[in-house]
Amino acid sequence: MLKYVNTDVVFQEIPDEVTLAINISNCPCHCPGCHSHYLWEDIGTSLDTQAIDAFVTKYGKNITCLAFMGGDCAPKEVNELANYIHEAYPQYKVGWYSGRLRIPSVVKKTDFDYIKVGPYIKHLGPLGKPTTNQRMYRQNNAGTFDDITYRFWRK
Amino acid sequence: MEIKNFTITKRDGSKDRFSLDKIMNAIVKAFESVEQPADLGTISKILSHLDMHDDIKVEDIQNQVEEALMREGFYKVAKSFMLYRQQHSEDRETLAKLQFLSDYCESVNAATGSKYDANANVEHKNIATLIGELPKSNFIRLNRRLLTDRIKKMYGKQLADEYIDKLTHHFIYKNDETSLANYCASITMYPWLIGGTLSIGGNSTAPTNLKSFCGSFVNMVFMVSSMLSGACATPEFLMYMNYFIGKEYGEDYYKRPNDQADLSLRKRTIDKVITDCFEQIVYTLNQPTGARNYQAVFWNIAYYDKYYFDSIFGEFYFPDGSRPDWEGLSWLQKRFMKWFNKERTKTLLTFPVETMALLTNKDGECLDPEWGDFTAEMYSEGHSFFTYMSDNADSLSSCCRLRNEITDNGFSYTLGAGGVSTGSKSVLTINLNRCIQYAVNHRLDYLDYLGTVIDLCHKVQLAYNENLKELQEHGMLPLFDAGYINISRQYLTIGINGLVEAAEFMGLKITPNDDYLHFVQGILGLIEKYNKQYRTKDVMFNCEMIPAENVGVKHAKWDREDGYFVPRDCYNSYFYVVEDDSLTILDKFKLHGAPYIEHLTGGSALHMNLEEHLSKNQYKQLLKVAAKEGCNYFTFNIPNTICNDCGTIDKRYLHECPHCHSKNVDYMTRIIGYLKRVSNFSQPRQEEAARRYYASAAK
Repeated sequence: MLKYVNTDVVFQEIPDEVTLAINISNCPCHCPGCHSHYLWEDIGTSLDTQAIDAFVTKYGKNITCLAFMGGDCAPKEVNELANYIHEAYPQYKVGWYSGRLRIPSVVKKTDFDYIKVGPYIKHLGPLGKPTTNQRMYRQNNAGTFDDITYRFWRK
Repeated sequence: MEIKNFTITKRDGSKDRFSLDKIMNAIVKAFESVEQPADLGTISKILSHLDMHDDIKVEDIQNQVEEALMREGFYKVAKSFMLYRQQHSEDRETLAKLQFLSDYCESVNAATGSKYDANANVEHKNIATLIGELPKSNFIRLNRRLLTDRIKKMYGKQLADEYIDKLTHHFIYKNDETSLANYCASITMYPWLIGGTLSIGGNSTAPTNLKSFCGSFVNMVFMVSSMLSGACATPEFLMYMNYFIGKEYGEDYYKRPNDQADLSLRKRTIDKVITDCFEQIVYTLNQPTGARNYQAVFWNIAYYDKYYFDSIFGEFYFPDGSRPDWEGLSWLQKRFMKWFNKERTKTLLTFPVETMALLTNKDGECLDPEWGDFTAEMYSEGHSFFTYMSDNADSLSSCCRLRNEITDNGFSYTLGAGGVSTGSKSVLTINLNRCIQYAVNHRLDYLDYLGTVIDLCHKVQLAYNENLKELQEHGMLPLFDAGYINISRQYLTIGINGLVEAAEFMGLKITPNDDYLHFVQGILGLIEKYNKQYRTKDVMFNCEMIPAENVGVKHAKWDREDGYFVPRDCYNSYFYVVEDDSLTILDKFKLHGAPYIEHLTGGSALHMNLEEHLSKNQYKQLLKVAAKEGCNYFTFNIPNTICNDCGTIDKRYLHECPHCHSKNVDYMTRIIGYLKRVSNFSQPRQEEAARRYYASAAK
């Protein structure tokens, strides 16, 4: 069962979107140097379609995107929720920040508009550093994904 | 009189042993000064009239000596004694000024040094700013006297006393008490366009070409500003400039900006001529000004989308019968913004404060998508300006923060054209935190109590208005007489401060919730009720959440000293707690949305503090959010970095200079409407800026 600890309205995580970031707990990645230690435990509130409905009621047209921050403990469930959002609320984009090296095959990637993959590796740095190992992809009109990691690198 | 060992209280409050010798000495000297003999018998007779008690004040002893001298028939001696006292009190005043002078010289910057109204618009501390500071206490006394005399005449002595009592106990605060001029105005430049500055005491005739427009414009703004204590807005600036450029290079000049415009060796293009004009005007108006105690003039301008422009200037005619050309103006507005944004990376330019006026439809979409888009583009390029959004062209910002509702779009100028002549004549601020705590502590209904304070404020403002009218009758206010400003379209403003702190005292959570909203509406609704009640066809009132650069700090300090609940060192000028990092950006728009600001007829500007610039699409979305929530006046504030070593200015919020990698950097930010170096703010304000939460997006 997916659980989330809190949410925040963010701008840098997904380029060009005003995003409701949902911080999911029970993260199995345990990257050394992780900035979000509090998400390692299995804590928080159930994240299901009812929780999604509540977010939509609360934020309405003020946001343009919902992003799952984590959820690698249950990728299939993340996928189901992404699919639910696109079906029930087609006006929103859906993003996923995964700490895995690659998205498991059980996941249908086209249910997401943005996918970030890659664990945090301290010496390579976060998305904002050109040396990073992490990658951000955006789905294009053809249903394939473009690497847009460069958008995080400041001119 | 019985001589005992008791103490007296000196003027500075300290205690001293009572000394009969000192009194005798003073009396003997008074006799000597008028060459009258004073024997011991006479002196002891006089002393016998004195009624001493423990801790008696020096002033009281002296009063008694005066009376005793007169009772014994020594009128000449008494007179001499009084003159001697007067002379000493004048000396003491000079001494206090000297003390202030040396304190000021040693303070870290002009805003911290200023005793009466700390103001970051003064960048330097020097002999010119000092000259401005010294007479301020006299101005305060003079202004209070002028006002209380008038209140006495209109409402009786009791109300005049009540005003001084509330003022000295910090329930209310009179803004700009150190100046004699009325506050701020959005002027129409039409009188200048047809007659030059002659009617306001200048010597230039009407501008006839681009060059005379630029030169005379600067002079006109300086002259107007010297007759105002606050901001001077010239909403028609770019529209007139567009007209003069058109006269010079053809109305379609903007279609060929790269054409060569002059025959000099420099072969300047039309575009270069135009940006040279911008440079001349903007740099000149950012200079410290002699007539304003070395402050730059508070110069504001406005940009319009097509619909706002039509609504405000649709009926405008230039003296030659032509009408403003929207296409040219649209180009010129964009050109100015782009130029100004770029110029700000070279020099710290505070003025003009810019307001973008956009009309939206009921769904929050910009009616003019081109200008909605351009607004987002300029924000994403790091330009800092205000946006005013409305679904009808009801207001213009006349200074960096004050929003004045224009009831009829300002087109009653009798010469057939016009602009907007509005603004605020005077601001009187209510310290809500103290008023509400006082009421609750004394088991009074706080709204009832507040009602009495609000009523007092309205009467005081009406008295101020009468004084202003008298000045005008004596020809002292040429801005009104010449038609730059219309006195009856200027507001008397009730300011508020300490709203959030009062709500916290009431145990409310400062988030978008019904209880807090109810509290806010209760208070602001009450003020609006009085504003309407006191409105006549000549007098209008509005209510503004004042930015309180120095008042917010003073109120916090005074209230804390008097034992009130004070949760921070500087009262907020927003509907949310500025250092609260649990609120999202969307929450903050909500807290400055329609339900909260509906009674705030004089406006409040949401300063959305961000740590990093957003993309154009994100700003576009936030414009939509603002329109949807009904947050009509806001700016995005990302601290710009300025290197103290090499002078590099960067639009980002950095901890290290990107050019020379020095860590000795300062920041430019909007704390109170205008962009300034953080180190120019007074000490408590700098602390507030450091504590302020810049919503960080990157995790």
